[in-house]
Amino acid sequence: MKIKKILIANRGEIAIRIMKTARLMKISTVAIKTALEPNAMYLSFADEIFDNSEDVSEIPVFLDIEKLIAIALNTGADAVHPGYGFLAENAYFADKCIDNKIIFIGPSPDAIYKMGNKTIARKLAMKNGIPMAMGSEGNISNEEEAVAIASKIGYPVIVKAASGGGGRGMRIIRKAEEMERMFIIASKEAEKAFNDPSVFIEKYIENPKHIEFQILGDTHGNVIHLGERECSIQRKHQKLLEEAPSCALDEKLREVMGKMAVQIAKEVNYHSAGTVEFLLDSDKNFYFMEMNTRIQVEHPVTEIITGIDLIEQQILIANGEKLKYRQEDIKLKGWAIECRINAEDVQSGFAPAPGKIENLSMPSDPYVRIDTGIQSGSVIVANFDSMIAKLIVKGKDRRDAIKNCKMALDKVWIRGTKTTLPFFRLLVRNDKFQNGTFTTAFIENDLDKYYFNSEYEEILAAWLATKLFVEENLKEDSINVDFENGKEMSPWLMNKRVNQF
Amino acid sequence: MDLSGKSYKAFIERQEALKKQYSPKQAEKQHSKGKLTAHERISLLFDSGTFEEIYTYVTPADQPVEFGKVERTFGDGVIVGHGKVNGRLVFAYAQDFTIMGGSLGVVHAKKIAKIQEMALKMGSPIIGIMDSGGARIQEGVASLSGYATIFHNIIHSSGIIPQISVIMGPAAGGAVYSPALTDFVFMVNHTSYMFVTGPNVVKEVLNEDVTFEQLGGAEIHASKSGVAHMIYDDEENTILALKKFLSYLPSNNVENPPVMADDGSCSDINEKLRDIVPDDPNKAYDVKDVINNIVDRNSFFETAELFAQSLVTGFAKLKGKTIGIVANQPKVLAGVLDIDSSTKGARFIRFCDAFNIPILTLEDVPGFLPGVDQEHSGIIRHGAKMLFAYAEATVPKITVILRKAYGGAFIVMNSKNLGGDFSFAWPSAEIAVMGPDGAVAILYRKELAVSKNPAELKKQLVKKYRDKIANPFIADESGYIDEVIDPAVTRKKIVSAFNALSNKWVKVPSRKHGNMPL
Amino acid sequence: MLNDKLGIKKLYALSSEKRKFSFSLPLKHKIKIGKRNYEIKLKTDEKYGTYILWKNRKYPVEVVRSRQNKYEILFNDISYTFSVETPFSLQRMKVLSSSKGKTEQEFVKAPMPGKIIDVLVREGSNVLRGEPVVILEAMKMQNEIQSPVNGKVVKVAAKANNNVMKDDLLVEIKVD
Repeated sequence: MKIKKILIANRGEIAIRIMKTARLMKISTVAIKTALEPNAMYLSFADEIFDNSEDVSEIPVFLDIEKLIAIALNTGADAVHPGYGFLAENAYFADKCIDNKIIFIGPSPDAIYKMGNKTIARKLAMKNGIPMAMGSEGNISNEEEAVAIASKIGYPVIVKAASGGGGRGMRIIRKAEEMERMFIIASKEAEKAFNDPSVFIEKYIENPKHIEFQILGDTHGNVIHLGERECSIQRKHQKLLEEAPSCALDEKLREVMGKMAVQIAKEVNYHSAGTVEFLLDSDKNFYFMEMNTRIQVEHPVTEIITGIDLIEQQILIANGEKLKYRQEDIKLKGWAIECRINAEDVQSGFAPAPGKIENLSMPSDPYVRIDTGIQSGSVIVANFDSMIAKLIVKGKDRRDAIKNCKMALDKVWIRGTKTTLPFFRLLVRNDKFQNGTFTTAFIENDLDKYYFNSEYEEILAAWLATKLFVEENLKEDSINVDFENGKEMSPWLMNKRVNQF
Repeated sequence: MDLSGKSYKAFIERQEALKKQYSPKQAEKQHSKGKLTAHERISLLFDSGTFEEIYTYVTPADQPVEFGKVERTFGDGVIVGHGKVNGRLVFAYAQDFTIMGGSLGVVHAKKIAKIQEMALKMGSPIIGIMDSGGARIQEGVASLSGYATIFHNIIHSSGIIPQISVIMGPAAGGAVYSPALTDFVFMVNHTSYMFVTGPNVVKEVLNEDVTFEQLGGAEIHASKSGVAHMIYDDEENTILALKKFLSYLPSNNVENPPVMADDGSCSDINEKLRDIVPDDPNKAYDVKDVINNIVDRNSFFETAELFAQSLVTGFAKLKGKTIGIVANQPKVLAGVLDIDSSTKGARFIRFCDAFNIPILTLEDVPGFLPGVDQEHSGIIRHGAKMLFAYAEATVPKITVILRKAYGGAFIVMNSKNLGGDFSFAWPSAEIAVMGPDGAVAILYRKELAVSKNPAELKKQLVKKYRDKIANPFIADESGYIDEVIDPAVTRKKIVSAFNALSNKWVKVPSRKHGNMPL
Repeated sequence: MLNDKLGIKKLYALSSEKRKFSFSLPLKHKIKIGKRNYEIKLKTDEKYGTYILWKNRKYPVEVVRSRQNKYEILFNDISYTFSVETPFSLQRMKVLSSSKGKTEQEFVKAPMPGKIIDVLVREGSNVLRGEPVVILEAMKMQNEIQSPVNGKVVKVAAKANNNVMKDDLLVEIKVD
C-alpha cells in the first residue's frame, strides 16, 4: 500500500465515515481542528489532529488550498480525502495535490474540470448520444439572452449555475416576466457560492424522478456501476431522503441507464467513485443531468444494497489498484432508505435552525445504520451545513424498509434544535411515498403540511400550555412572612411602637 | 340570620335596592364592550371572600344641581375597600362605568381619598382600577378639587406604599395624572385609553384626524410614550398578571418583599450561560436569555417591555427573594443608552431603591446613542437621571459585565466607583474608554493615514487593542471590578453576593431631598 | 360586597389555527379523549431533560417562549402556539372582533437570523401572496421571504446589508 496516512480535508460525519474505513485498512488519518468547532466529534476518530483553531481567517480551512497542502506536507500525509462539499470537486485543488506529490483520493483534475463545468459536460454527453433536455449551447451572459433562449425552448425553464451543485444558484422560471429577476438572483447566488456567476438554461422537465447511478472506475480503464439511487424527495433541489434501488426502474431500464452512465464516465477516463444523475419523466424517458465527481452524502444506501464499502474502493483506486469487481459481480440485495436529519424548522418551510444539541440518542437496532458527526453538546454552527445525522435503514424489500424506517424514526431523540424528523414521520405514512409514485415536485405539490403529529400530540401540548398558565397565574404563590401572628413583627408595626412613646 | 323582624325592614329594602342597581342588565352592558364590571374586577383581584367594601351606600352630594342631573345611586360610581391578595392586605378602588360613566363627583373622590389614607396608615399597597368618563361636569369645581385631593394623596404616599393603576376604560383630561403619579400603570388593549385632550379637541385645534386607539391606546402608551408599563389583551389576564406582579413587591418601604419557597429546582451552575454571548463582538443576542438562565425558573417579570427596548427592566426572584434587574439589550439598537432608556432605567432604579429591592445590572452597552436629535433633546440631562438614580440608591447593587462596557455608559451602568457593591465580569467583557474601532482611529490616526494598507493595519491594531486594553483582566487586576467569573457560576456568585449584602445599611446625610436632573 | 364571584372554572388553550382545547380547573394530570381518561406524566431528569410520558413513550417538551398568556411549546420536534383564555376573555375576543372589523396588519418577520441581501418592495407597494419581499441570506443560502398575504406594504423595516435576528420585523403589510 502506497497510502499510509490520509489528511481528511473535511469535517462532520463524512470525516468520521472516512476515518472509520481508513482504520479498518490500517491507514492512519489526520483531522483538522478548527476555531468554529474545537470540540467536534470527528476529531476523536483521528489518529492525529492538526490544530488550526488559532486561524481566524474568514475562509474555512477546508476551502483554503494552500493551507491544506501545507498541512498535508507538514503532517506527512501522503494522501488527501476531500469528502463532499468544500474542495471535493475543485480541479485546481486536485492538481495542486498532485503537484505536491500528494495522492488526491478522487478522480483526475481533468475529469473534475470537465464534469464540473456543466456546459462542457453537456457537450460530452451530447457527443455520446446520451439523451438530454433541450437547453442553451453554453453559458448565458445576460438577461436579454436568457429571455431569448427561454422563449425558443419554451417555458418552464431552469437556470443553473455552470459550476454549481446542491441546489444553489438554481431557479425554475415559468413565465417570461420572471426571467429577468430570477436570472439575476441565480447568477448572484452562483457567484457567492461558487465564485463563478456563469449560468446556463435548460428546459425544465416537469415532475420527474431523480435517479442517479453510482459509478466506480479504476486507473486501468475499468468502469462499472453499482446500481441506482432515487433521490426524488427534495426541497428546493436539496435532497432529504434517498433510497436504493428505485421502484421506478426495472432490470431493463437499469441496464440501459447504467450503460449510459458508464459510457459518460469512460469519456473522461473517470476513476474513483462518482455519480451520474438523470431525470426520469413519467413516460420513463431519461435525461442526463450532471455527473458528480465525489463521494455523495447518500452513498450509504448503495453500500447497503451492494455490500461494497465505497470509501475503501476510493482509497484502493487512488492507490492504483485494479477494480476487484466486474459489472456482473454486482448484485443488488434488499432495500435501503436514508433520511437526512437536518437542523431545520419544517414548520417554517425548512428554514435552518442552528443551535446546540443538548442531548441526542439514536436507535441501535440491527436494521439501522447511523452516520453522524454530532453528539450531545455539539453545536450546529450556522457556517456549515445543517446536517445532524443520516438515519439509514434497511429492509428485505421496500415495504419492509419503510416499516423499519417508521420504527426507527420514533426512536430518535434529539433535543436542542428543531429537526426534519417530523417531516420524515409524515413521509413514511404518505400513500404516494409508499406506493412510489412521487416525483421531485412531491414536497411542493403533494403535501399541504410538512410534518406529522398524532392527534394526541396537540392536545398534550395544549395541556402543557394550560398547566404553565395555571402555575404562573393561578397558584397562591407568595408565601408571606408571617407578620400578623406575631412570630416576626412587621417593621412597619415596630416603627409605630417605637415612635409612639 | 332571620331578617323578618320589623326593625330590619329598611335594612332589607336598601339591600334589595342595591341589588337592583347592580343588575345583570348593567353587567351585560359592560360585557358587550368586552369589559368586566367593577365588582367582577374586584372579585378577580382579591382572594375569594376576603374583600370588604366600605362606604357602599353613600350617595352623591346633595348640592343643588343647576345644570344637568345627578342620578341618586348608592356608592357614587366607585367601589372602595380592602381585602387579601395572595394572603396579603391590599387596598383598592374600582370605578364603575355603569353608574354615571364612572364620573368623578365629590363623594366619589372622597371615597377614593379615604381609602388612600387608610392604605398609607396601614402601610399596604393600593390598587386603583380606572374606568371613568372624567370629572363630573354637573358638580363643577367640587369634583376638580376631588382630583386634587387624590393627586395629593398619591404624591404623599409615593415611596411609602406601592401604588398601582389599572386602566380599564377611558381616562381623560386631569384624570390621567392620577395613574401617571403612581408607580406602575397597567392597561388593557383595545378597551382602555389615556389622553390629556381627546381626539375631538385634537381635531378642533390642529385639524388632525386621530382615533382613540392611535392617540392614547394601550399599545401607544406601552411602546411610544412609556406611560403604560404593562399591557394585556384582556382584563382577566391583566388582573392575573397584577396579582403576580404584587408578589414581587413589599407592602411598604420598611418591609421586605414576600419570599417564595425556593424549590431548589434551579441549579447554581448553569452551563447554558456560556453559550449565549456570541464570540463575534458585533453579533447580537437576547439578554433575556441571560436573565432567564440566572433567576429562578419563570420568575422574570418584565416591566415596560415595549418601551425603550434597548434597556430591559423587570423583577425576578433569586432563591425566592425579589430582585430588580436592569439589563442592556444588545438585540435592540445594540443595547445603547438613549433618552427613553435612560428615563426608563432611572425610574425603575428609584422604585427598587424606595422599596428595598436589590438591583442586579447586566451590562453590555456600547455607549450613548449619538446624534443631533438625541443631543438636542437632552441626552445629557436624561442620561444624568440614570447616573443620579444609581448613585443615590442604597439598596444592594451588583453588576455583571457580559460584554461591552465602554465610556460614559460604563460609568453609568452601576460602576463600582459610582457605588456599586459588587462588579463581576464575564471573560467576554470589554472594558475600556471606547470601542476598538474608535480608539484605534484616534490613537493611530497618523499611522493609518500614511499606511499603504490601512484596512489591514486597522485590523491588526483592533486585535491588539482587544488583547491589551479591551478585556476584563486589567480592570480585575487593578480592582475596578471584583472578579472575572465563569458565566456558568453567575447565579451562584450573585446569590452569595446578595446574601452578603442583605443587611446593607447606608447612612445618608439628612437633607430634604436631592435635586435630581429632571 | 355583592356576591357575584367570578371563579374561573375552565381554561381554553386556543391554537394559532383557532383550534380550541378546554380543560377544567383544578387542572388534572389526565386528559380525556373520547370516553377514556389518559394519564399524563410530566417529568424531568438528567438524561432526557423535561419530557411528557404518554402511553409509555417519552416525548421531549420545551417551552420555547412565553409572553403573557401565550405559549410556544416544542413537543416532539413540532412547535405549537397557544393562547390560554378564560371563558370571559374568549367572549371578549368575539365581542372585539365583531365590533371592530379591524383591518389586519401582517408582520413579515425574519424566519431565521441572517443578513438582508435585498429588499424588493417599498412602502406603498402592492404585494401578492407568495411574492418575494426580502432576500435574506442565512447559512450561505439566499432565501426569498415571501408575502403571506395580498396587501399593501405600509412599513419596510428591513435594510439591505443589515443583520437581523430571528423574528425581527422585515415588512409590515396591510391586508386587503
